[in-house]
Amino acid sequence: MNLSTQNPDLCSKCQLTDVQEFLTRFPIFSGAPAGVVNLFGYLSKKEEYKKGQSILEEGKNCDRLFLILSGKVAIFQYYNERRFHLQLLSGDGINYFGELALLAEFKWFFSAEAWTDVELISISREAFSKVMERYPESYQSMVRKIINVRIHRFVDQSSYLLDHISPEAWREYPEEEE
Amino acid sequence: MNKPGADSKVRITERSLFYWILRRHRPMQLFLLLVIVISLFFRVFPLEMQKRIINEAIYLKETELLFLYCGLYLGAVTIAGLLKYAINVMQLFTGQKILVEMRTELYQHVLQLPLQFYRKMQPGTVISAMTSELNAIGFFLGGAIAIPVTSVLTFSVFLGFMFNLNPLLAMLSIGIYPVELVLIPYLQKKYNTLNKRRVKTTRAMANVVNESISGIHEIHGNVSYGLEEQKLSSFIDQLHALMKKLFIVKYGIKFANNLFQSLGPFILFLVGGYMAINGQFTLGALVAFLSAYEKVYDPWKELIEYYQSYQDAKIRYSQIMKIFDLDPPHLLLPAGREPLALPGNIQLSNVTFTVGNGIKLLENINVDIKANEQIALVGFSGSGKSTLALLIAQLYDTSRGNIEIDDYDIEDLSKFDMGKSVAMIAQHPFIFSGTIYANLLYGIKAIAEDDELPDREQILSVIRDVGLQDDVVRFGLQAVLTAEECKPFRNKFLRMRQIILTSLRDDFANAIEFYDATKYLYYSSIRDNIVFGDSLSGEFLVERLADHAQFMELLREIKLENTLLTLGFALATQTVNLLADFQDDEFFFRDNPMEVDEFTIYSELLERLKGPQPEDVEDRRLLLTLAFRFIPNKHPIVSLPSALEQQILKARHLFQEIIVNIDMDHCKVTGSCKPCDKIPKCGESSAFIPFCPSEYMYTRTLLDNILFGAVKSEKLLDDHLRTLAQQAFQDEKLLDEVMAIGLKFEVGSKGDLLSGGQKQKLAIARAFLKDAPILIMDEATASLDNSSQARIQGLLENEFKGRKTVISVIHRLDLTPAYDRILVLKAGRIIEQGTYDELMERKGAFYELVHAES
Ligand SMILES: Nc1ncnc2c1ncn2[C@@H]1O[C@H](COP(=O)(O)OP(=O)(O)OP(=O)(O)O)[C@@H](O)[C@H]1O
Ligand SMILES: [Mg+2]
Repeated sequence: MNLSTQNPDLCSKCQLTDVQEFLTRFPIFSGAPAGVVNLFGYLSKKEEYKKGQSILEEGKNCDRLFLILSGKVAIFQYYNERRFHLQLLSGDGINYFGELALLAEFKWFFSAEAWTDVELISISREAFSKVMERYPESYQSMVRKIINVRIHRFVDQSSYLLDHISPEAWREYPEEEE
Repeated sequence: MNKPGADSKVRITERSLFYWILRRHRPMQLFLLLVIVISLFFRVFPLEMQKRIINEAIYLKETELLFLYCGLYLGAVTIAGLLKYAINVMQLFTGQKILVEMRTELYQHVLQLPLQFYRKMQPGTVISAMTSELNAIGFFLGGAIAIPVTSVLTFSVFLGFMFNLNPLLAMLSIGIYPVELVLIPYLQKKYNTLNKRRVKTTRAMANVVNESISGIHEIHGNVSYGLEEQKLSSFIDQLHALMKKLFIVKYGIKFANNLFQSLGPFILFLVGGYMAINGQFTLGALVAFLSAYEKVYDPWKELIEYYQSYQDAKIRYSQIMKIFDLDPPHLLLPAGREPLALPGNIQLSNVTFTVGNGIKLLENINVDIKANEQIALVGFSGSGKSTLALLIAQLYDTSRGNIEIDDYDIEDLSKFDMGKSVAMIAQHPFIFSGTIYANLLYGIKAIAEDDELPDREQILSVIRDVGLQDDVVRFGLQAVLTAEECKPFRNKFLRMRQIILTSLRDDFANAIEFYDATKYLYYSSIRDNIVFGDSLSGEFLVERLADHAQFMELLREIKLENTLLTLGFALATQTVNLLADFQDDEFFFRDNPMEVDEFTIYSELLERLKGPQPEDVEDRRLLLTLAFRFIPNKHPIVSLPSALEQQILKARHLFQEIIVNIDMDHCKVTGSCKPCDKIPKCGESSAFIPFCPSEYMYTRTLLDNILFGAVKSEKLLDDHLRTLAQQAFQDEKLLDEVMAIGLKFEVGSKGDLLSGGQKQKLAIARAFLKDAPILIMDEATASLDNSSQARIQGLLENEFKGRKTVISVIHRLDLTPAYDRILVLKAGRIIEQGTYDELMERKGAFYELVHAES
């Protein structure tokens, strides 16, 4: 219902509708029934991080998906105790990370850090499964979308890494094992 | 402590019911008898008056005599009534006094019964015996002597009076009594048998209920409600059938009584009337006789009832005493010396422990343990490790062979000797309801004098030793302190707040929205934003605000009421629309000012309402309450227009000025620390505490007070700010104070408010605090995480080495190398012993066990 009919002062800019509208821009939620998107909008949390602050750390338990509302987020991984940059995600486009956390419980295999001041919207796995319990018919298509999203990211990150690979590391065929 | 009473020579369970009655409160009981005898006179006297009124006053038509006799009659009846009242009260008092003694002594006896007894005994049986069954006896006790004595005396006096009037009539009218003497005991016997079965069934029922309440976790976990119901329902049916029979017999007895009572007058009228007509008997005498007959029946009835309740009490009593009929196996205090704290050389020779039908749980155990030696007991589940530990702690008694501690046979050591010498941590330790502090001191309080109790330093250091520090600090921070409790530390706590508000501000600002008298707070409710403080009386609680006339008046004045109603209406509408399918799931209401169980109320409200401004007071209250609870940044369902913020700030200002009448100016300066009561205008409404940097909020937790704001992100707070805060506490030397407050945390029944690990740590701390020379640990660290386990192990190796004899049952074999000696148990026998290296070299059972583990 529209609040503004009662009192033009109240809810001239409704937080909830904003978030809901924001969500529909994401491939995971596009095409989902309005009821589902509304609930996710309601259950999502706004998180703010200052530049340089850690958002999530490799090895910690994962529990939520992040959508970037504004600002830039650096995704990186540690390998042999060295930090490897993987991706810089920006709120200008449609960007998010941690989508697999909605589906399964695992330890983060990358870290994320606020590259500038950032505003994020997060949706927890608990919220996701609670909503999906009530809308089982949407579950399959949501899972399919999450996997697609994941594949996209995987392709992006691989090409990024291949672009930056040192010439010595380049191989055309598998190496012979001793 | 129990001083052996004068009559404690007869074991409590062997005393008869009358043992108690005849030996307790004799002067009181004698006095009671005296009163009874006196009262008798006043009961017979009216009969004589009756006769005289008819035979003299009426017959002679003497009005004056009539008045005199009537006056005397009245006086006597009144006095008799009063005396009867006094007798009843006195009876009851004595009865209850005896009951108290009986219960106390019995409880003392019951507590000292050996563990073996409790293996077989269900707690429900003990509980119902100690409570309801004893209660029923209490009623009998008071009248146990007085009632029969009164009844017999009254009976004889009235009977004498009747014989005096007319022996023939008297004979006739009591002629039916002997029939009753046969019939009633016959019925009573039936009743007794049924009653015994009733007692048994009730106990069985109590056991079932008791067990299911204790195992309620399992029941919920297994969804076994039906099973448990079935268990009880068979007993319910049995009891039902028994009670039916019981009442049929009981009322049969009553019926017989009443029948005989009505037969009497029939004979009297027939024979007495005939004699009166023939002039052999005066009319006055007949009336008096009739009265006397009625009176004589009362004591008779009382006697019969007494007989019944005596039988009843006797059965209950014997049933109670039968279950506890056992001697406590050990003396409480040693005879002729002070209790000893033994250094702890323990010698077991040929120790065998047999249960029930000759099953040997332990067989021929021979071990020599030197003082300060540390022994590990290992072996498969069920091999008898716990049993051996309990034997050494004197909680079980050997069947054959003997255990000596420092050359004292353990049989001859008193409970207090053992209490001083041994600290034991059981495999499943028990935590009592009460505070952490009370539980910690449980072991030591029982054996030590008050001035020997450990001081705070010692207690806190044990808390740290067992790794309970963080938990206790958390409990301390969660405590809501009264002004009285807070007083000694108030300024220090406020200093902590200052540190967070100033030097740590940047760290905390991410997680906390600090209270600021000049700003609108997005993480606080509208109620907090307006009231901006708490009243000690609860006057401004969110549920009460809508009924607060002065407060609502203020809102109306600045035209805020209608806006808030609209807000409440919007919140209700949005929530009801969005969550209609989720109204029973608490999860969806976490970020909503509505609570899950209020959903129906609000959805019904919305159906009733046409718009956001209802007329009905109750409807308005519902909408306003929702609005008052609304927290803009936590309840995203509706957003707050900025115009409203200004209005609310205005309301805050007016509220402070008009309603609570305080001056907030000094609260606006961050860093000001001047207490409000030092400022004019502050003392007037001292029951109100504003969110002011210089005020301690007695309605909020210690943590709330120190953070001084609403939490934005629990996660951030938990992740590293907590440690930061703890460090600050440490630097300010406040951690001990917080821990001392945390020690007052109430752990709930059986310690249910603690986690499994916390309970175990508490039990370890309790044993350590006792600081006895012998420490027996039965899987004491089994439910602790690895680091806590290692911490305790370190304590044994460093602190206790050379100070305590340690016997430790352990499953984790990687902990065994630290022990001086390892005993390997299998099927009740020691099959190997030696140091870790020796046993590993031997490649025997222990070696196998170690390899099976890795
Ligand atoms: N009072 C008793 N009456 C009858 N049987 C008993 C009694 N106490 C123990 N048992 C039995 O004796 C055996 C040894 O029990 P005990 O508790 O000593 O084993 P444990 O070695 O401590 O095992 P765990 O490692 O599982 O704690 C078990 O089979 C148990 O059922
Ligand atoms: Mg055991």
